[in-house]
Amino acid sequence: MTALLQHIVDALSVGSTYALLALGLTLVYSIMNLINFGYGILLVWGAYGYLGLTEVGLPFAPAVILSVVGVTLLTMAIGRIAFRPFIGAPPITLLITSFAVLLIVQYAAIVAWGEAPRIIDYPGAFTEVINIGALRIPLLEIITIGAAIGVVLVYFVILNRTPLGAQVRAAAEIPDMTRLVGIKPGAVQMTVFAISGAIAGVVGFLWFAKSGAITPRSDLDPTLKAFIAIVLGGLGNTRGALLGGFALGAIEVLMSVVLPSNVLGYEPAIVFAIVIAILVLRPGGIAGAKVNPA
Amino acid sequence: MKLPIPVSFKRDRVPGLNGLVGALVGPLIVAVAVCFVAWLVYASFPSMQIIVLLFGINLVMVVGYQLFVGSTGIVSFGHVAFMALGAYAGGISAMTVTEKSIFLPELPGILANLELPILPAMAFGGLVAALAALIVAVPLMRLSGAAASIATLGLLVITNNVLNQATSLTHAPQSIYGIPEVTTLTWVLVAVFAAVLISALYKWSPAGLRSRAVRDDEMAAEASGVHMLAARVWPFVLSAFLTGVGGALYAMLLTAFSPQSFYVPQIVVILAMAIIGGINSISGGLVGALLITLLNEVMRRVESGSSLFGAHLTAPTGISAAVLGVALILMLRWRSEGLFGSFELQVGNDRRKKPDRPQDSGLVKAPSTPAIESQK
Repeated sequence: MTALLQHIVDALSVGSTYALLALGLTLVYSIMNLINFGYGILLVWGAYGYLGLTEVGLPFAPAVILSVVGVTLLTMAIGRIAFRPFIGAPPITLLITSFAVLLIVQYAAIVAWGEAPRIIDYPGAFTEVINIGALRIPLLEIITIGAAIGVVLVYFVILNRTPLGAQVRAAAEIPDMTRLVGIKPGAVQMTVFAISGAIAGVVGFLWFAKSGAITPRSDLDPTLKAFIAIVLGGLGNTRGALLGGFALGAIEVLMSVVLPSNVLGYEPAIVFAIVIAILVLRPGGIAGAKVNPA
Repeated sequence: MKLPIPVSFKRDRVPGLNGLVGALVGPLIVAVAVCFVAWLVYASFPSMQIIVLLFGINLVMVVGYQLFVGSTGIVSFGHVAFMALGAYAGGISAMTVTEKSIFLPELPGILANLELPILPAMAFGGLVAALAALIVAVPLMRLSGAAASIATLGLLVITNNVLNQATSLTHAPQSIYGIPEVTTLTWVLVAVFAAVLISALYKWSPAGLRSRAVRDDEMAAEASGVHMLAARVWPFVLSAFLTGVGGALYAMLLTAFSPQSFYVPQIVVILAMAIIGGINSISGGLVGALLITLLNEVMRRVESGSSLFGAHLTAPTGISAAVLGVALILMLRWRSEGLFGSFELQVGNDRRKKPDRPQDSGLVKAPSTPAIESQK
C-alpha cells in the first residue's frame, strides 16, 4: 500500500513536469501550427540564466523570477525574429524552422557556457525528504506538483478570465473572424509566445533542479518528452496535453516498477513503443485532435 | 545555347519508354557531374580522400532520404536509425570470424560464422534496415503530418536505446572495433549510381505516382482507389534500404563507431542537404549535398582557425550546425521549395503539344500532373 502511494506521488511529480512542458508547446501549436523543436533549449537557457544569476550573488527568489522573465523575453524575441515570417506556412515548414532555430540558439549556449557540464547550486531544501508515516517524499516532488498546479491555474485564469485570453482563444478557434473584428494577430502571437516562454522558464528550473547538472545539449530529453506528451494527448488540445503529460509520467513510473531488472535498460524504447501503440489505436491522441486551447 | 544532348528541367516525365529513359538518365547525369567534382578532389588532394568518401556516402543517404520524404511529404527525423542499423549489420557481417571471437564473443551463432565481402555486406546492411522499416511501417505510416514526423523521431530513440543495450551485438556503449576498412571510391560510386537509379525508377513508376498522389491530396487519392498505406510503406522500406547501404559503407570506412555516432546531430546534415537542394527532386538532393559539404568544410576550417581567402577567422566548435540552421531558415523563408523545387533534370525532346491548362505554381507541395497514365 505504501509502495503504491509512493509510486503515485512519483508519477504525479514526473507527470506534472511533462504536463507543463506539453502545455507550453500545445498553446503555440493551437495558434500557429508550430511544433517547437527548440522548446527544450529554452529550458536550458532558463537554467543557465538561474546559474549565472546565482553566480553573481543574487539570492534564490530574485534569481528564479529573473530567469523566468529572461526566458519569456528570449522566447518572444525568437518568435518575433524567426517564427513570425513563417506563420501560415505548412506545419512541416514550421517544424523544420524550429529545428534550425534550435541549432542556432544551442550554438549560442555553447559559446556562452561551454560544452562541459555545469552543476547548478540549488538551496539545501531542494534535497530534503519528508517522511509521512512510511512514505518518503522528496520535497522537490512536492514543489514540482505545487508549481504545476499554480502554473495551470494562472494559465486558465489568463485564458478564461482576461480579455487577452479571450482574444487568444478566439484566434485559435476562428483566426479569420478574429482578424475581421480587429484583433491583431501579431499581438496574439506574442502573447502566446510569452506564455509559452514563461512556462518553459518554470519547467526549466524544475527539470534541472531534479537532474542537477546541465550542458548546452541537455535539451533533447525535455523536447522529446514534450513531443510525446502532446502527440499522446492529441495535438493542439490543452486538456489533451495535460492528460498526455500525466499519462506519460504514469507509463514511465509503471515501467520502472514492473519491468524486470534485465530489461530495465530498454525502458525508453518500451515507453516509446507503448506511445506508438496508443497512437495506432487512437491516431488523434487520447483526447482526440481538436483545436481547443482552454 | 545549343547543347549536344537536349536536356531540360521538368516536374513530370514524358510518357512512353523514351520519356522513362530520359527521366532516368537525367538524375544520373547530375550524379556523374557531382561525382566528377568529388573525384577531382579525391585525385588531387590525398588529405581530402576520407572527406570525399564520406561525401559519397552522404550522397547515398540523401538520395535514400529524398526517396521517402519526396514521395510521401513526411519529413523524417528518424532516418539516422536506418543508417545505424545498416552500419552495425553491414559492419558485423564483414568482420572476420577471428576478430568477431575477440571483439564480440557473445555474438549469436549465425552472425558469428558470417564473413561477407563488401558487396554482400552492403546488401546485408540495407536489408536489415529495410526489414526494420517494414516492421514499423504499418503503425508509423498511418500517422500523417507532424505526428508522423515525431513518430519517426521516436523510432530513432528506440533504435538508439536498443543498440546501446544490446551489448552482445554492438559492444555498446563502447565503440565497436575490428570492422575491415574496405570501402573504396569505386564501391561508394557504385552505391551512389545504384541509389540514384533505384530512386529514379521508383519516382517514375506508377507506384511512385501513387505515392505522390497521396502526398498531394490524401482524400482524393484514396477516393481514386490508391491504397494510402501501400503508397507510403514502399517508399519507406526502399528508402530504409538505401540508407542502410549508406550506413554499411560508413561502417566499413570508419571501422569504429558507437550508437552515439548515429543520433540527432547526424540528422541535421542529411535534412539540410535534402531541404536546401529541393525535397521533391533527386537532382536537387545531389546538388544540395555538394553545397552543404562545401559549407561544412569551410566551417571546419573556421573552427580550426585557419586562414580563408586572406581573412583569419576563428569560432568555437559547433559553428557548422549554427550556420546550417541559418542556411535552412534563409532557404525556407525565400525559397521554401529548395533550389530545385520539384524539378528534375531530364533528357530528350518533349514532342507533345503543350497542354493549355495553366502551369502549377509548385511550392512545397507541388501538385504533379499525372503524365504516366498513358504508359503501357
